[in-house]
Amino acid sequence: MRRLSTLSALSLVAIGGGLVLTQACSGGSSGTPAATADGRADMLVIPWQSDIGQLTPGVSESASDGYIMAMINYPVVDSGFDCSLKKSPGIATEWAWNEDGTVLSMTLRDDITFSDGHLVTAEDIAFTYELVRDPVVASPRVSFVERMVEGKDPLVIDDTHIEWHFTVAYDRDTQMSHATGVPVIPKHIMENADRASLRGNDYSRAPMSTGPWKLAEHDPNVRIVMEPNENFTGPAEDRTKLKRVVFQIIPEYNTRLLKLQAGEVDLMESILVSDADALRENHPEINLVKRGYRSNDYVAWNLSNPLFQDVRVRRAMAHATNVDDIIGKLLTSSDGTAYARRSIGTITPELCGVHNDSVTPLAYNQEEARRLFAEAGWTDSDADGVLDKDGEKFEFTLTTNTGNSRRAQSSVFIQSNLAEVGVKINIEQLESNTFFENLRLKDYEAALAGWSAGLFVDPSGLWHSDIVCAEGQEDCEPKKYEFNFTGFSNARADELIDQGLRTPIPGEAAPIWMELQQVIYDEQPYMFLWWQNEIVGVSDRFENTETDLLSPYGHLEHWSVPADRVKY
Amino acid sequence: MANNGINASYLGAAQLVGLALSAVSTAAFGFMSTPTYVALAMSFVVFLVLLQSANLLMYFLRKLVLAIPLLLGVCTLIFILIELSPGDISSKFFNPNVTPEVKALIEAKYGLDRPAIIRYGIMVKNIVMFDFGRSMSQERPVFDIIAEALPNTLLLSAVTLVIIFPTGILLGTIQGVKSGKPADTGISISSLFFYSMPSFWLALMLQLIFGTYLGLLPFSGPYDLNAFDQTPWQHFIDRCIHLILPGLAMGLASAAGTARYMRSSLLEVIRQDYIRTARAKGLPEGVVIRKHALRNALLPIITLMGLSLPFLFSGSVLVEQVFAWPGMGRTILLAIFEQDTPLIIASFFMFTLVVVAGNILADLAYALVDPRIKFD
Repeated sequence: MRRLSTLSALSLVAIGGGLVLTQACSGGSSGTPAATADGRADMLVIPWQSDIGQLTPGVSESASDGYIMAMINYPVVDSGFDCSLKKSPGIATEWAWNEDGTVLSMTLRDDITFSDGHLVTAEDIAFTYELVRDPVVASPRVSFVERMVEGKDPLVIDDTHIEWHFTVAYDRDTQMSHATGVPVIPKHIMENADRASLRGNDYSRAPMSTGPWKLAEHDPNVRIVMEPNENFTGPAEDRTKLKRVVFQIIPEYNTRLLKLQAGEVDLMESILVSDADALRENHPEINLVKRGYRSNDYVAWNLSNPLFQDVRVRRAMAHATNVDDIIGKLLTSSDGTAYARRSIGTITPELCGVHNDSVTPLAYNQEEARRLFAEAGWTDSDADGVLDKDGEKFEFTLTTNTGNSRRAQSSVFIQSNLAEVGVKINIEQLESNTFFENLRLKDYEAALAGWSAGLFVDPSGLWHSDIVCAEGQEDCEPKKYEFNFTGFSNARADELIDQGLRTPIPGEAAPIWMELQQVIYDEQPYMFLWWQNEIVGVSDRFENTETDLLSPYGHLEHWSVPADRVKY
Repeated sequence: MANNGINASYLGAAQLVGLALSAVSTAAFGFMSTPTYVALAMSFVVFLVLLQSANLLMYFLRKLVLAIPLLLGVCTLIFILIELSPGDISSKFFNPNVTPEVKALIEAKYGLDRPAIIRYGIMVKNIVMFDFGRSMSQERPVFDIIAEALPNTLLLSAVTLVIIFPTGILLGTIQGVKSGKPADTGISISSLFFYSMPSFWLALMLQLIFGTYLGLLPFSGPYDLNAFDQTPWQHFIDRCIHLILPGLAMGLASAAGTARYMRSSLLEVIRQDYIRTARAKGLPEGVVIRKHALRNALLPIITLMGLSLPFLFSGSVLVEQVFAWPGMGRTILLAIFEQDTPLIIASFFMFTLVVVAGNILADLAYALVDPRIKFD
């Protein structure tokens, strides 16, 4: 027995000792910050919810993969955003379109190299797209080559000249993104790699670098360390100013927030509006930046359900829901800054030449809602507080996914708003996979969900009706649009979508997209709620930061810290 | 009796040495290498043989054989649950920017287009061959992933056990001895306080108090993720202090529970006639408690130790998430979110194996401490 009591005593001593050691160590662990010999100084620390997956271009999937790839790969064409995607030179120094918009010719730099010294040439770009097209690879980017001529995707003229041949001309911004959206894979390294196991290839863990950064360390599920690529041969202004970027894998939101407050990380994405106030008050050293309207929330009505087939009913429900009030309560901080605006469609307002500002959102008006319900035959004939028609009650289930507090709270507001005009809503929360599977199968009544908007316009996936070919009909390719969750089908909308997608010059397509937004809004297949503006917190010691619609931390090679504020 | 006492001390020593070895090697090298595992397992078998107890060895083997249907049952159940849940790994390619063909290609690549019964057959074959295949989400051998994560969870569990049992036993003993006095009431109230706290909330509170307000202890990750160029010694210390808060978050509630068990067990023993006899003999109270009462009062606690292993592992899912601890709990959670069948099956297989091993150890310890129990 003495043994056990000794053990207890020992363990207590050990715990106590640990605490003392911690205190002793916490004082001495920080070193003196110093710039490296080449003038690089300080380090940027960013917490991530999850680890990276694949770093081989063409098979990478997650957002984290994308951010690392943007650091290690010098872009074929660089992107910025100002009302629409703006392209600027990268590996390609100049480009031109032929008259009918089906051939894009590019001139490439002759001085960009992979980290082993091999020049990046036209052959590497052609090889990259050969992999993307190969069905064995199962690349998620295979849609990029769908409308390119096989073998001329691209056509190599010489080491520094390529041509992209398209089967048809479509929106130029999209064409350009398809041609330049996959970073370059080194042909001399990957030529003989097994294509079926391209995911999981060793290259995915130790990728070559053509950009300003290189992957220096990856401790799975713990951290990713990026350091300057000493062999970077691109323009001098694209050399890194920081000596390191560290991505810490911290799955829990609250832990990430605590770390931001404690100064252990320098930048945090997707900060909740409810936390923005406390940060603004107690941490003036953290700048809160809005990224722009990229994602939205909406209520989808299943149009095959008899309850929602009358457009008057759908408009009545939009009138009965006080969207501005919900934005004020859930998406506005206490100093009055709103982090959302009402939405009228699925084209983001950031695409300012295309978004239809003249569509006015349906105003909150209970009287108008009651009038429309009555016109459609729904009245409260038995005075039980719930509308009815031919003995049937107006009652349905509003489903949303778990793990999103904003949607969970919004669903309650919508429930109470609609109850006031006699609509009974039962709220159901489903695990995300089940929820999206049900949407795909159209197995729901009403669903509160959201989209993250693309930065070029292609509404076909969401709004085009399925193409069903009549028997014996030639020139018809049947197509199912699985993301048209509501089963929306409108001849004019189909016509506008087809017409818009065939118009190559973005400005010329704008009026078509404007009309489409009006047509869809009038039909109300969704109750459009709002666009959210993501909040990013960034330590104010960084200069030349770039937090925008494209990335919460774009062009990290330009970020720097003034000498008197260097921390690490 | 004397013989059993020696056996018990061997077993206790072996367990302690094993735990210490794994703790030290994990802390020092980041993870245990496969040879370390083999060495640990071998030393345990050698130890059993050294005991020269045929009964014991037979008992151990029988338990292992009985574990096989259990393992198969667990894997089958998990397989059925995965089958019943909607979607699979290809669901993440359900996105307007990806053509439906890609989803089909991915399904074909992982054989998800085959009938469930065939996939089940392949799974059973793989388990029998002890080959868990490749993770679908991480595209590397499942065994590598588990070899990275399991030592971290074992290390955290070892630290938690050290927090639960010595602390719980000590507090329970004080309460038993000082029954009805202010010390007893005080410990009872604080035990109840910790016992009723959900572990994730306790974890957040510990992070807030010790990590943010007091700035005393690091509150996430297995080491200081912003540190570079540490000496091995600094790295070792760094890893050790990163264990404290997750260990406390996982252990405090159970320590409080153990104290409650210990208190009532000791109170029951103290009322026995032989204790009265010991006191009547004129033995000092300390000796009565330590030599006569505690030993018997500890028996139920040993059972508790065996039973606590599954809870340690399930508790690790939440605590590892909050403390960004790269262990099995997080591996399982990620695997489930990604619907990565091979990784889910392998993770639960390992969990079951560790729990079975823990129960065998507890059985052995129980029998060795209590001479009335025989291994037949």
